[in-house]
Amino acid sequence: MLGVKVRAGPALPAVLAGVPRLRWGWAAAGCAALLVSCGIGVLVGPVHIGAGTVVQALFGGAVDPGQANILWSLRFPRVVLGVLVGGTLAIAGAAYQGVFRNPLADPYLLGAAAGANLGATLAIAFAPGTSVLGVNIVPLAAFVGAGAAVAGAYVLGRSVSGLRSATGLILAGVAIAAFFNSIQSYVQQTQTSSIRQVYSWILGRLVTAGWDDVLLILPYVLLSATVIFLHRRLLDALTLGEDEITSLGIPVRRIRLIVVVAATLGTAAVVAVGGTIAFVGIIVPHTIRLLAGRSYRVVIPLSVLFGAAFLVLADTAARTIVAPAELPIGVITAFLGAPFFIAVMRSTRAAAL
Amino acid sequence: MHKHQPGASAKLAIRLGTVTFVFVFLVASCGGTSPSGTSTPTTRFPVSITEPGGAIVTITHQPMRVVSLSPSATEMLFAIGAGSQVIAVDDQSNYPSSAPMTKLSGFTPNIEAIAAYTPDLVVAAEDTAGLVHGMQALNVPILVEPAAKNLQDTYAQIKQLGTATGHSSQADSLVGSMRSQVGSLVASVSKPNRQLRVYHELDNTYYSVTSATFIGQVYKVLGLTNIADAATAATPDYPQLSPEFIVSSNPDLIVLADTKCCQQDINTVAARPGWRAIAAVKSGQVVGVDDDVASRWGPRIIEFMRAVASHVQQLEKQAA
Amino acid sequence: MSDIVLTGVSVAYDGEPVVRDLDLTVASGEWLSLIGPNGAGKTTILRAIARLVPFRGEIRIGGRAVTELSSREVAREVAVLVQEPQMPVGMTVSQYVLLGRAPHLGYLGKESSRDRRIVRDVVRRLALEDLASRPLDRLSGGERQRAAIARALAQQAPVLLIDEPTSSLDVGRQQSVLELIDQLRREQELTVIAAMHELTLAGQYADRLALLVGGRLAAAGSAAEVLTEPAIAEHYHAQVKVIQMNGSGTAVVPVRR
Repeated sequence: MLGVKVRAGPALPAVLAGVPRLRWGWAAAGCAALLVSCGIGVLVGPVHIGAGTVVQALFGGAVDPGQANILWSLRFPRVVLGVLVGGTLAIAGAAYQGVFRNPLADPYLLGAAAGANLGATLAIAFAPGTSVLGVNIVPLAAFVGAGAAVAGAYVLGRSVSGLRSATGLILAGVAIAAFFNSIQSYVQQTQTSSIRQVYSWILGRLVTAGWDDVLLILPYVLLSATVIFLHRRLLDALTLGEDEITSLGIPVRRIRLIVVVAATLGTAAVVAVGGTIAFVGIIVPHTIRLLAGRSYRVVIPLSVLFGAAFLVLADTAARTIVAPAELPIGVITAFLGAPFFIAVMRSTRAAAL
Repeated sequence: MHKHQPGASAKLAIRLGTVTFVFVFLVASCGGTSPSGTSTPTTRFPVSITEPGGAIVTITHQPMRVVSLSPSATEMLFAIGAGSQVIAVDDQSNYPSSAPMTKLSGFTPNIEAIAAYTPDLVVAAEDTAGLVHGMQALNVPILVEPAAKNLQDTYAQIKQLGTATGHSSQADSLVGSMRSQVGSLVASVSKPNRQLRVYHELDNTYYSVTSATFIGQVYKVLGLTNIADAATAATPDYPQLSPEFIVSSNPDLIVLADTKCCQQDINTVAARPGWRAIAAVKSGQVVGVDDDVASRWGPRIIEFMRAVASHVQQLEKQAA
Repeated sequence: MSDIVLTGVSVAYDGEPVVRDLDLTVASGEWLSLIGPNGAGKTTILRAIARLVPFRGEIRIGGRAVTELSSREVAREVAVLVQEPQMPVGMTVSQYVLLGRAPHLGYLGKESSRDRRIVRDVVRRLALEDLASRPLDRLSGGERQRAAIARALAQQAPVLLIDEPTSSLDVGRQQSVLELIDQLRREQELTVIAAMHELTLAGQYADRLALLVGGRLAAAGSAAEVLTEPAIAEHYHAQVKVIQMNGSGTAVVPVRR
């Protein structure tokens, strides 16, 4: 093998200048944001529970059983669910943006939301309250629907354009989403008695009780996040031209497939229990790009941390603003996310996105 | 002995009297109402009815081809004896079972489809998709009887339908009977030591009702405190409650109006993590009601009230 | 060692043959310039050698058939400089050059300190040290091209395929780029195949030229042998005068009648 002939010169530092790394400052900020938002999430709610009580409950002290009940059965699981859902949607969004090289890509690009909505609508309208293998049929149907939609987009895209370009796949996803959405609208319209529940599901709710939902999605979320995390450097490479990437020996198509499957798996799982919460998958990664750097080595890990923090805060708002009633969390994420993003864009010199 | 023979004028008088007597007898006997509903009206047509919304509807003759697009109105019509005049009801009007259910939709009405039945009276719960305008263009009288806000509204609607279909006296007696039943139910629920709290569940995503709704008013009449009223500021009628709030409000009674749509019952409620601590669950005061009965404002509301009242009585006994 | 042998290579796009039954040999350490009119198949041949398009026939590098190599092994043998490399917005020079190490890392591999050292040395060699942390979109055209060359060098592949290295460069830059590549070739003993449309420069820097017309090899040999007025008139349909400059190669001068 040929070596690079080095001219004699002064010894150079071991660190290579200019290669992006996740600076520990940002990592710490992400962890702090997550901890703070979780803290707010467990302390704030329609039922007032003092901070001391919360801490005692966490560490096994003697606490009023009514309040302990609320904390352990309702509030703690909900915060943890928010962490999982927010982190997954954000990392999946970043992954989709990396694979499709499109800043507007979000986890629902290939029809996952339309598929999940259709699955949930069918389940709510025709078989509510039933369970399969101990799992409520609604999240199951939503999960299957999301997977089916993306698989359908993949098959359609491949048969039409041979997957030579990402555009073909995106267009297939648009077509599939439109098709599924039309069926969903029809079912929703004709099954009027369940219209309120369907609507509520589509806008997204993190209401959970007990740890069932958390445990249900945990394996998918962990798998999805791990795979995407491992591919973060390769996502940087995907910004080159197609020929260039291949000439570097990087298997473009395989990477795209693996990352899309992983991101979709995580998205389908969290959408199954939380509904189609919009905005997180676009806003969080983009904000991180503007503030902390464009490399996926930075964006991927920070997206998880800040995405989780963001959603936990949004959920806290959703259950306190109109307490004791609740707002759909999708409303909050859009309401909070959009102005925040605009503010970030204006205050930072945003290069071409 | 000579009999005094009536004169010619007397004969005429007797004949006239007999005819009159027969005529009056016939009219009188035909004028009575019978339970299964006859076609002889106890209302004089034409009638002018002022809808709850303020519009005035004129019905020129007793309608014999009534189309009902409102399940509550359907129940009322059959309860006041006008069932035989009803030729078509919408796809949600599943009670009584003898009602002629069709594919017509009260939610998204199709003017042509309704017109195909050549109705002479249409009853609906809301004016959507230009329904009223369409019926007016076809010269078909249409009565819009929207969701009742309280029991008084229900009584008023029953009476209106009675007038409109020629069954006023039956309507009046139904209202009277409902009133007295409500009165005795309220009386049976004596004033408890403290206000009993109720949580009314519309579906398993914790939608509930406030006292600004019909069902909410029913609870009020029975003297119960509705926990959803705390959410009235943000959502006046159908708030989606936070489960934390429901659990901490500790209702004494839970009424499940989602037994049909969402298969909820006392066991599924008790299985919800954290709900086992609720007083209603602990004492078994979780009552499932027919979704339809709890969502309509027809005569069957008495059934609903009876079911709730019996549980309230149990609660009061337990508290005593 | 790293000689390249093409035997009976044919490439077709959508059924349209672009390269027909080509036989070509490039010796190890040689600079071969591929010349020919537009659409003759120059870029296609480069892509075939880098295994970026399917082809019929045989291509061997250092005796090994490219079709028997994994794509990473191919990337360790062949580095490609495309005509218009994509410069991702926001990516720094160091990170861009570091991508050149990809063939030496595992699928999910992280770069080691050795990889970083190699990148650092390449960056220094191409006088990009001061620009190492600068994003690519803030470089001048010449600096970007040096970054692309640096990335190709970081691959440490013995073969360098270059597609039109001088398009859109002024004459001064053209010379400095070609001089640089020639220097690197000598230092690292690289085999260079460059597709060029600029005939004089093609002749000045190459050891041999190969003239491609319609996907076939029309002529191969030294500059003096291949760059002749009748050949250029026949294949390029251009009127030129060919001047032999002693020691400075063959000049092809367009003539206007």
